[in-house]
Amino acid sequence: MNASFLLFALLNTGFILLVSPFFMSLIKKVKASAQGRKGPRLLQSYFDLRKLLQKEVVYSPNSSGIMRITPYLNLAVLLLASLFVPIVFIPDAPAGIGNIIVFLYLLAIERFFMALCGLDAGSTFGGMGSSRLMSLSAVIEPTMVIAFAALAYVLRTMNFHEMFAITAGSTIPESPTLPLISISLFIIIIVETGRIPVDNPATHLELTMMNEAMILEQSGKNLALIELAHAVKQTILMAVLINILAPWGLATELTLAGFVVSCLYFLVKASLLAGIIGLFESSIAKMRLFRLPSFYMMAFFFSALTILMEVFA
Amino acid sequence: MMNSNKNTVSSLIPAGLQLREDYQIPVNSTLLATQYATDLIVNIAGKKPQIRRGKNNEYYIPLGEEEFLKTVLSLPEKGFVLISLFCVQDFEESPDFTLFYVFRLNGFTDVFAFMRCVRMETTSIATVFPSACWYEREVRDGFGIEFTDAFDKRRLFLHEAYPEGFHPLLKSFKNEKIQSVENPEEAYTFKQVEGEGVYQIPVGPVHAGIIEPGHFRFSAIGEHIFNLEIRLFYKHRGIEKLAEGKSPSACVPIAEVISGDETVANAVAFCTAVEKIAGIEIPTRASYLRAILLEMERIYSHMSDLSGMITDIGFPTMTTPFLIFRENIFRQNEFLTGSRFMRNAIDLGGVKKEISGEALSKLNLYLKIFVPQFESAITAVHASSSLIDRFSTTGILKKKLIAPLNLTGPIARAAGASYDVRLDHPYGIYKDIPPERSIKTAGDVLSRFEVKAEEILNSVTLIQKFIALIPKGAITAENTGFAILNIPNGYALSMVEAARGQNLHWVYVRNGLIDRYKVRTASFCNWQAIEHAVLGNIVPDFPLINKSLNLSYAGTDL
Repeated sequence: MNASFLLFALLNTGFILLVSPFFMSLIKKVKASAQGRKGPRLLQSYFDLRKLLQKEVVYSPNSSGIMRITPYLNLAVLLLASLFVPIVFIPDAPAGIGNIIVFLYLLAIERFFMALCGLDAGSTFGGMGSSRLMSLSAVIEPTMVIAFAALAYVLRTMNFHEMFAITAGSTIPESPTLPLISISLFIIIIVETGRIPVDNPATHLELTMMNEAMILEQSGKNLALIELAHAVKQTILMAVLINILAPWGLATELTLAGFVVSCLYFLVKASLLAGIIGLFESSIAKMRLFRLPSFYMMAFFFSALTILMEVFA
Repeated sequence: MMNSNKNTVSSLIPAGLQLREDYQIPVNSTLLATQYATDLIVNIAGKKPQIRRGKNNEYYIPLGEEEFLKTVLSLPEKGFVLISLFCVQDFEESPDFTLFYVFRLNGFTDVFAFMRCVRMETTSIATVFPSACWYEREVRDGFGIEFTDAFDKRRLFLHEAYPEGFHPLLKSFKNEKIQSVENPEEAYTFKQVEGEGVYQIPVGPVHAGIIEPGHFRFSAIGEHIFNLEIRLFYKHRGIEKLAEGKSPSACVPIAEVISGDETVANAVAFCTAVEKIAGIEIPTRASYLRAILLEMERIYSHMSDLSGMITDIGFPTMTTPFLIFRENIFRQNEFLTGSRFMRNAIDLGGVKKEISGEALSKLNLYLKIFVPQFESAITAVHASSSLIDRFSTTGILKKKLIAPLNLTGPIARAAGASYDVRLDHPYGIYKDIPPERSIKTAGDVLSRFEVKAEEILNSVTLIQKFIALIPKGAITAENTGFAILNIPNGYALSMVEAARGQNLHWVYVRNGLIDRYKVRTASFCNWQAIEHAVLGNIVPDFPLINKSLNLSYAGTDL
C-alpha cells in the first residue's frame, strides 16, 4: 500500500463522514420548502447525531449480538465501500479497491445485516421491515447488477477508479448512453436510501415502513451510527452518479489545489443532486408496496437499453 | 336485498309518497308511522301495541317478551336498521331494567324504539342484527345483564383488569376506588386464524404519533390481510355515569367533550333533547347559528381527513393546501365563537353568544375566496396519478354491510348509501334549507375522499344560504331559565348528522336532574366497518384505510 492511497483513504473517508449528514438535512430542507414550511436547520442532522451519541443504548432482552454489532459493522462496511468511490482525488489503488462487483457485495452485506437486525429484537414491526426488504431485494439486486454491468460495458472497465479517470478527463459525458445509465443510478439512490416512492423516511406509521421499521428497536449511540451509515451510503451512491454524469473538477492526482477544487465541486454538485432528490420526493406519492418492482424495472430497462445500444451502435 | 326491502315498505306507503332515492318526506308522517308500526306488530304478533309518541319524532313501543321476540326477529327483512340499543334502570314505573331497541326505517323521519323489560338475564338479537353485538356487550359491562345465548360474551369497555361484578351504570354503583385485577384469569381471546404462512401482527394500543389508543390484531398471509380484529376502549371516561344526577345545564360541557371534533354536533344533540323535554322552542336566529356552526365543524373535520389521507401515502406537498385551509377555518371558528373547536358556543335554549352580522359577512367573504382555492387543490389531487393509484380500489366497503352494521356518514355515502340525518330525520333549520346529497358508489378510499371534498363544498353553499337568510332576533328562548328549572320528568331522543355520521343522544330527566344519558356517536358503529374494509388489502395500506374512515376513539369510548 502506497502513501498516496493511505492519504486518500484518510481524506476521502473523512470528507464523506463530514459532509454526509449535511445532505440529509438539505433534502429535508428542500422537501420542507416544497411544502411551504421552513424545515430544519442545515446542520440539524449533526445536532441529532450528537444528541443520539449522548443517549444510553437500550437493548431488548430478546436481542442477540446481532443487534450490538450491526451498527458498527454496517458503518465499517460502508466506509470501506466509500474507498471505492473517489471524491477528493483518484489515487493509485491496490487491486480490488474500486471493483464494482466487490462494491455490490459490500452493499449486500450491509442490507443483509440490516434485515437480521430487524428480526433480532423480535418486535412486530422489525420483522415486517426485514421481510419487505428481502423480498424487494430479490428484484433490486439484479437491477443493480445490470446497471453496473452497463456502466462497465460502456466504459470498458470493472473498476470505479478507472471509470472515473476516464470520465474526469472529458467535459461532456464520455458516451451518449451515460445519461441513460444515470437514470438507473438515480433510481438506485432512491431505492437504496429508502425514499419516496419506495419508503417514506418521515412517517410514523409503522405498518407502512420498510427501512425505518428495521431500526425501530435501535437507540442511542447505535442509532446514531446507523443514521450516519445511512447518510454515508447516500453520499456514496450520489458520488457514483455525479462522477459518471458530471465528473468536472475531480482531481486525477494528489495536489492541494486539486483536493480543494474536487471537494468544492463535489459539494456544489451533490447539493444540486440532493435538491433534485428532494423535489422528486415532493412530486409523487409513495407507491403501493407491490407496485415497487415496476419502479425498479424502469432502472432495469434503462440499463438494458444502454447495453443494447452499445452492442449494436 | 335492498330492493326487496323497499318494496315491502313501499306497499304500505300510500301512492304518491312512493320511495325514491331522493324521496320526499311523507306529508303526514305522524299518522303514517303510528299506523305502520301498529299494522306491523298486529300482523306479526297478533296483538295491538301501546304506541307512545315521544317528544322528538320517536315512537316508544313497549312489547311483551313473546311479542318482542316475534317482532324483532322479522324486522331485518322489513328493512329496519338497528341504530341503538341501550339499557335504563328503573325506567318510569317499570321494575328492573328496560332495554330500548331503536330502529329506523327508510322513508320515515321518525324512529321506533321497542322497549323490552328484562331482569338480570335476557336473550341476544345479534344473530339477526349484527350491530347489536357491541351494544349487548356494552349493556352487559355496564349493568351486568347477561345475554345468555350471545355468540360473543367477551367484555367490551371494561377490560379484564376491572374486577368481576363491577357494573358502573347500575344505580347502586358508588364511585370509589377500585382494586384492579393484576393477572386476570379471563383473557381476551382474538379470533385465531390457522394455516400455513398465517401469522398474527399485534399493533397498538400504543402507537407512534399523536393518536388515541386502540389495538389491532391482524392475521396476515405475507402482506395480505386475512382477518382483522379491533379492540378499543382503553380510555373509558364514564361520561354517561358522570351525567347522572347533574342538572341539564351542567351536562352541556359534558356533551361537548365526548369527542373533540364533534363538539358542536354533540352539544346540539344534547340540547335538542333537553329542549324537547322542557318544551323550549328555540328562536329562528339560534337555529340558523347552530346550523352554521355545525357546518363549520363538518368543514374542518373533513378537511383534516383530506389532509390526513394524503399524508398517509407520503405526499406531504399535496397535503399542505388542505392543512392551510383547515387552519383558516379554525381561525374563522375562533373569530365566530372565541374557540377554535367551538367549545362553549351552544347552550340550552339557543346559542351562548351572539354572532354579529359583521362577523358573518366576514365569514362569507372568506368562503368566497376559499371555494376557488379549494377547488383548485382538489383538481391538483385528481391530476396526480401516483396519488389516485393509491386511493383507487383501496379499502372497499361493500354496500350490503351498511344496513346490518348501521354505517352512517360520508363513509356510507361513499359506498352507495344515501342516508343523511339532516335529510332523513330533519332537525332545526335543515327542515327548511336541506343540504345536497353527495353519493358515490365505489366504496373505496378515493370515493370517501371525493364525498368528503364534495360535502365541504356543499357545507359552504349551505352556510352561504344561512348567512343570506338569517333573521334578526333573540339568540336564546326567553323562557329557557324557567323551563329548565321546572323541567318535567320525561325523555327524548335526538339525532344529528355529525361530520362522521349519525350521532344519537337519549336523555331521561327525573326530578329536574339527568337520570340517564345515553350517547351513541357514529364511530361506535362505523368502527366495525374497518374489519371488513381491510380484507384482501395489504398491511401497509391499513393506515390509509383507517384514516379514510376517520373513526373517533373518544367518541366510541365514553
